[in-house]
Amino acid sequence: MEDYGDSDEECYYSDDRESLDGLDNEDSHFQRVTPKGPKVIRKESLLAAQREDLRRVMELLSLREHHARTLLIHYRWDVERLFAVLVEKGKSFLFTEAGVTIIESQDNDSQQTSCSTVRCDICIEDLSRDKATRMDCGHSFCNDCWTEHFIVKINEGQSKRIRCMAYKCNAICDEAVVRNLVSKRHPDLAEKFERFLLESYIEDNKMVKWCPSTPHCGNAIRVEEDQFCEVECSCGMQFCFSCLSETHSPCSCLMWELWSKKCRDESETVNWITVHTKPCPKCHKPVEKNGGCNLVSCVCGQAFCWLCGGATGRDHTWSRIAGHSCGRYKEDQEKKTERAKRDLYRYMHYHNRYKAHTDSFELESKLKKTIMRKVSISEEKESRLRDFSWVTNGLQRLFRSRRVLSYSYPFAFYMFGEELLEDGMTEVDREIKQSLFEDQQQQLESNVEKLSKFLGKPFEQYSDDKVMDIRMQVINLSVVTDSLCKKMYECIENDLLGSLQPGMHNIAPYKSKGIEKASELTTGWSSKTNATNMFLSSSGGTSKQERPSDSGSSDDSGCFALKRARKEDGGYFDLNLPAEVVDRS
Amino acid sequence: MIDFSRVQKELQECSRDIESSGIRVTPKSDNLGRLTGIIPGPTGTPYEGGTFCIDITLPDGYPFEPPKMQFATKVWHPNISSQSGAICLDILKDQWSPALTLKTALLSVQALLSAPQPDDPQDAVVAQQYIKEYQTFVGTARYWTETFAKVSSLGVEEKVQKLVEMGFPESLVRSTLEAVGGDENLALEKLCSG
Ligand SMILES: [Zn+2]
Ligand SMILES: [Zn+2]
Ligand SMILES: [Zn+2]
Ligand SMILES: [Zn+2]
Ligand SMILES: [Zn+2]
Ligand SMILES: [Zn+2]
Ligand SMILES: [Zn+2]
Repeated sequence: MEDYGDSDEECYYSDDRESLDGLDNEDSHFQRVTPKGPKVIRKESLLAAQREDLRRVMELLSLREHHARTLLIHYRWDVERLFAVLVEKGKSFLFTEAGVTIIESQDNDSQQTSCSTVRCDICIEDLSRDKATRMDCGHSFCNDCWTEHFIVKINEGQSKRIRCMAYKCNAICDEAVVRNLVSKRHPDLAEKFERFLLESYIEDNKMVKWCPSTPHCGNAIRVEEDQFCEVECSCGMQFCFSCLSETHSPCSCLMWELWSKKCRDESETVNWITVHTKPCPKCHKPVEKNGGCNLVSCVCGQAFCWLCGGATGRDHTWSRIAGHSCGRYKEDQEKKTERAKRDLYRYMHYHNRYKAHTDSFELESKLKKTIMRKVSISEEKESRLRDFSWVTNGLQRLFRSRRVLSYSYPFAFYMFGEELLEDGMTEVDREIKQSLFEDQQQQLESNVEKLSKFLGKPFEQYSDDKVMDIRMQVINLSVVTDSLCKKMYECIENDLLGSLQPGMHNIAPYKSKGIEKASELTTGWSSKTNATNMFLSSSGGTSKQERPSDSGSSDDSGCFALKRARKEDGGYFDLNLPAEVVDRS
Repeated sequence: MIDFSRVQKELQECSRDIESSGIRVTPKSDNLGRLTGIIPGPTGTPYEGGTFCIDITLPDGYPFEPPKMQFATKVWHPNISSQSGAICLDILKDQWSPALTLKTALLSVQALLSAPQPDDPQDAVVAQQYIKEYQTFVGTARYWTETFAKVSSLGVEEKVQKLVEMGFPESLVRSTLEAVGGDENLALEKLCSG
């Protein structure tokens, strides 16, 4: 993780009611403390997550919060684009487009207050003025009609942009009015409205996505700048931010989608394979036919005839297998089946390797425990060797490189296959590139295997010298595999993807440290399970809380004057990171 | 629940200026949830001289949800299905506002008859014809108006059936037709005014 040391600004909220409308007291002051990288947004921090964007828009345009929100929802929380539109087309265009209406309406008010009843044009009833509400756009209707309108719209799922009831009025209704009126009749619906508003920040925002875990952990992840990245949620789920499936670089999202589909479809071909294996007449293991030749041989050394299954000698000519004459021996000539077979074998070639590395990854993950036990045994020994971080580092490197290796096979399958290839690459060109890539792949492969081998050694039983030797090997191999992975990504990004359809294939950049863990969004909000409550202010004291706690356990819930915990010499503990990561930084 | 007190007020308001608007709305039954709207074909269009009936169904959320409207009279028009009578009109969908009424909605439907929008067709065949062979379109639309929207071209039994389909009780239809000497337009007017 990046260090948090540079962020020593304070962040706290004062408990003024106005700040909820965006009219801040002088002393209320908010800054998002921003360590770089992806962020976990929890239910409790969802409001805080949008704060900074709201604040920027509110400050620049001197707007109230609900107007800023309306603008941001319209521009899908893309503050930069919103500002660009402002600069290019001006404020009034910006407002009209988004349905923000701010009119100076004192005249109207004084004029209207002169009579005590008004006619509501919806229900066509006369009623006293205090039973009607006027929106920012100037249109006034009775509270019952407004409420009914809001309820219909919220049930239609249009909470985020409830327009005024007047015909052709594009203005978006003040969320405070909606909240207030709806909660009187339908508190649960008001809550739904609140949630819709808050979740717009996730739903309508291309930089924020729900974590795809099932059952859902309730978190969303926010990334910075690049959507093509791989992240780990605080629930442990690792995923590709762009397509929300498992992490798959250096495969592109499209390649991965095709590959997963192919793997599902081709599992039927596995049946093909079972149909196309025959038991060896000697040891009875299934033997696969390899190529067109009908003389097959089993690993046990037995040769037999594919057609009749009978044991034979090992020699054959075009017409005859030595020592055998079932008379049906013939090379398969049918072009079509040859081609289908060739495609299938090509797929199997890549799939086997992909699968082999995925399996190794799983086995090695299980081995982690064993290896860590060896470390603790070694640490207790009387020895001058104390530092075993090379083991943990080596393991991390091994896991990382294994994954790169496994996904490099589906990548190669599509990169050098016919399915996705555009006309850009000539046959010769492709062969050159393929062999270059395969060289890299093989280098990586052999180093990864070596690394795996060394980490598997029973070093806890070795003498210090021997351990030192393994340590050197592991450290070297870690460095080598890291740089080979980096090189492979570079080669893919710079030399290979360019010859596919432009823009269609993007890959998450190689991260030496592994898939980036999203850090907690550090906020001053006390945790509340119900977002609505955030709007209820209180006469809060000024007790400080170390960090927002996890569930709705905070006792002094009304207090917004919270300060973030600060470690004396900079740097924050992030409770969501495993100790090893925190220690290292 | 439908706001029936508002519907009542709308009906009163509508009958008040039948003279100027030519728009009528009458309930099909007692419950006010199903009504018939009647609009005269706009002058200067192939629909001139026709009387068009529109089935109206009010959703529970009316007036906060738009009324459902569908031509009962067959019409040849790019934005109205020649099969089902379904109308493609924005204010009957997402542009509906509770501030609109049945009368204003029917006026919009009438305006649609005057100004077809073939770019947003409900009936692709009609729209194609409208764009490519405008004169043929006008001819067909006029023929349909003559055939389906002019009650006077019908025999007595057909007149009765037509008026019954609009939602009037058969016995009342027969007596009214008799009273006005078989002129179904007069009969309709009489039936509508109660
Ligand atoms: Zn009202
Ligand atoms: Zn308005
Ligand atoms: Zn998660
Ligand atoms: Zn992806
Ligand atoms: Zn065998
Ligand atoms: Zn052979
Ligand atoms: Zn044989």
